[in-house]
Amino acid sequence: MLVYDIQNVTKYYPGQTRPANRDVSLQIHTGEIFGILGDNGAGKTTLIRQMMNLLRSTSGEITLFGQPVTRDPLWTPRNVGYMPQESSSLNCLTVGEALYYTAHLRGLRRAEAQDERESLLDLWQIREMRDQYSNRLSGGQRRLLRLAVATVGAPPVLILDEPTNDLDPQRRKRVWDVLRRLNAERGTTIIFITHDAIEAEKIIQRVAIMRDGALAAVGRPADLKRTVDQKLRLELFCSPDAPPHFPPPLTPHEVQPGRWTVLVERQAASAVLGQLDLTQVDDFRLYSATLEDLYLHYAAVPA
Amino acid sequence: MPPSPRNSQPFLVQLGDLFLIELTNWRWSWRSMLLTATITPLFGIIALGIFARDSGPSTLAYVLTGNLVLSLLFGAMDKVQSRFTYMRVVGALDYFAALPIQRYSLIQAVAVAFFLLSLPSLLATLGVGALLLNLSLHLHPLLLIVIPVCALSLAGLGAFIGVTVRDPHEGGSLSLLVTLVLAGLGPVAVPPERLPGIFLILGRFSPATYAASALRQVILGPVTLHLWLDLGVLIAFAVAFLWLVGWKMDWRGTS
Repeated sequence: MLVYDIQNVTKYYPGQTRPANRDVSLQIHTGEIFGILGDNGAGKTTLIRQMMNLLRSTSGEITLFGQPVTRDPLWTPRNVGYMPQESSSLNCLTVGEALYYTAHLRGLRRAEAQDERESLLDLWQIREMRDQYSNRLSGGQRRLLRLAVATVGAPPVLILDEPTNDLDPQRRKRVWDVLRRLNAERGTTIIFITHDAIEAEKIIQRVAIMRDGALAAVGRPADLKRTVDQKLRLELFCSPDAPPHFPPPLTPHEVQPGRWTVLVERQAASAVLGQLDLTQVDDFRLYSATLEDLYLHYAAVPA
Repeated sequence: MPPSPRNSQPFLVQLGDLFLIELTNWRWSWRSMLLTATITPLFGIIALGIFARDSGPSTLAYVLTGNLVLSLLFGAMDKVQSRFTYMRVVGALDYFAALPIQRYSLIQAVAVAFFLLSLPSLLATLGVGALLLNLSLHLHPLLLIVIPVCALSLAGLGAFIGVTVRDPHEGGSLSLLVTLVLAGLGPVAVPPERLPGIFLILGRFSPATYAASALRQVILGPVTLHLWLDLGVLIAFAVAFLWLVGWKMDWRGTS
């Protein structure tokens, strides 16, 4: 069954001549774990805000469970739990209050809302934060609270904007474990944006990669990898002040200062390594394509 | 169809929850309420009271009620403006819009919560101001209607500023400008006979003029038929501003 059916959606913000996204068509099915990848400004957040009916599309249509999201303003909020990228909306509330009021406003009875609060404090392992004010929490703790708030009331669909940003590795793992569990036990459809492609690869079933507001690729990671899996990923670590010299026609990508990555043809790998001055490199790794490579590949290739 | 989504809460339940959520804003707002909505009007009373000491109780009545309006401008209007601006800037409106609630339950909850939060400052200004000016109060039961109506009409104006401005700096500046203009235009803190004619004409378009007039009647007396005109205009201002806020606010596919 289709959860979201997105047809030719385009969004121009007022006063802008370039669209934030253009002609996006996409279907997401019940029980999928669907990832959206793309560079900053690629139109990912605009798309999920359109899917939440928080933004009106300039053209095109989005339906949720067969009904246009714009027809009944309460249709999407009743069916979808949403975690925005940034939000200080709960600043004055304690963690317990935030969960309780969200649960009650989502339609749970008072006693149910109290039970839901207790259950979510345990599920997300945030019980020790129960009586703390949200504005006193660290960035990672706030993100966990926002995740817990999004999952209040067990909505059939979750839309999460960068759920693991600011989290330490242990908490990141916890988030992926909980999301996988919600998907397996409740059949929750999970749609999320992430820049953490390597971590997300563990749970993503299908992925959309956006570039300059358009969809560059959509599909199962395994299928998409076939388009790039003839290539190996070469990762170099060096001083940020002395970038390595890559032989043409390689187009390296600086993932972070001092960390470079480039895709090379399998048969050319030895030659490329031979042409690099490895004495100026602190470390290097060579491995087959990952979801991050897909992301880098499609984000670099014009759509 | 999705697996049987829950029904939304009735409007009044939404309003109750959102009101309680908004009341928690006292955790940050009480300091500025104390400074701007209590101390500033009291300084105004002291300063204007010194000048108006020999002008008789009629002029002192304007000083007292004008500064009560100033307390509401700082307490209800400015704080509601800050709240709406803040909600827009930090994405809180997205949080609320992603819940199955109606926009007017949120707007009314903010306005009512900040009315209650501004009440202690208003009452402190009234009590201390009457003592400082040596005025005897003749409180009329209609005070219980007049104060909320005054506060809601000014809160509505604050909310409209909050959903219109681009950022908190612009919101703060505009709110201060509006506060000064509304307090200065019309017979708010100064009797009409001491104002230029143009101020009297412009004052007819200001909710502060009607708020000051209504407060004067129910706090110091006598209550006249003019009170019903004041209340009617203030209610019209409140309804119009709150409707405009709902129309202008970024909420579910309206932007």
